[in-house]
Amino acid sequence: MASMCEATTRVLPGAAVIELSGEVDGSAADVLTEAYQTAVGAHADLGTVVLDFSAVDYINSTGIALIVSVLARARAERRKVVACGLSPHYREIFDITRLSDFIELFPDLDHAVSQLTGPAA
Amino acid sequence: MTQVARPAPRRLDAFELPSEPGNERLALARVAESVQGLGLPEARLEKLKTAVAEATMNAIEHGNGNRAEIPVEVEVTQNGDEIVVAISDQGGAAHPDGGTAEEPDLLQKLDGAQSPRGWGLFLIRNMVDAMDITTNGQRHTIWLTMRTGGTADGQHV
Repeated sequence: MASMCEATTRVLPGAAVIELSGEVDGSAADVLTEAYQTAVGAHADLGTVVLDFSAVDYINSTGIALIVSVLARARAERRKVVACGLSPHYREIFDITRLSDFIELFPDLDHAVSQLTGPAA
Repeated sequence: MTQVARPAPRRLDAFELPSEPGNERLALARVAESVQGLGLPEARLEKLKTAVAEATMNAIEHGNGNRAEIPVEVEVTQNGDEIVVAISDQGGAAHPDGGTAEEPDLLQKLDGAQSPRGWGLFLIRNMVDAMDITTNGQRHTIWLTMRTGGTADGQHV
């Protein structure tokens, strides 16, 4: 039943997208840290990190702590974090924890990317 | 016929799990199965699942110290329009669920003044209609109550 967290990183102009899948829990620590490192490593001037939760089926309190750590690091590096693809339940958890005060939420990746890069010409 | 008397509590399920990390997923799946057909709206079912998972994680880690041979006990009861999930471990009164845990503050966590962790009990409290903790000797139980009808703040489209 359990599915390990996996992450795929894509770099767009001005933003990196970390597409997460599976479970964001304690087992996701290394995956998330490495994905962030990959995302920003080659692009020190990268302004925004997009966390795409579309394929995530479970987030627990340890996963919330990991997201807090990513956000703390990004803030220290003057980068913005946005998120997309959260289910209504996890959107509510982002509200309750106040993560959504610091991480702008979009319904899906298309909305996030079009907002970040402007409407297609 | 108008029924005034409240029906007697009905046990929906009772089971034990070894105290091994990850078994909270088994608890949430089984609790979700046991409350099927009781009319709990989807959004509230998701909240109950999160609360059960977090309480079971606490029981496994903090209550029973990840010792697989000490089981976490889960009992699901229907009492009128309330679903009550009782999750018991052997953590005793020194259990970190005892209410002394620091309230998580995101800004302090982002500034490094608090650990990024410590969201479990906070999430539980915000997911269910009532949370109670009892201790009887070493037996520590967290009671999660969820009304099937929902409350104003629990209504979601």
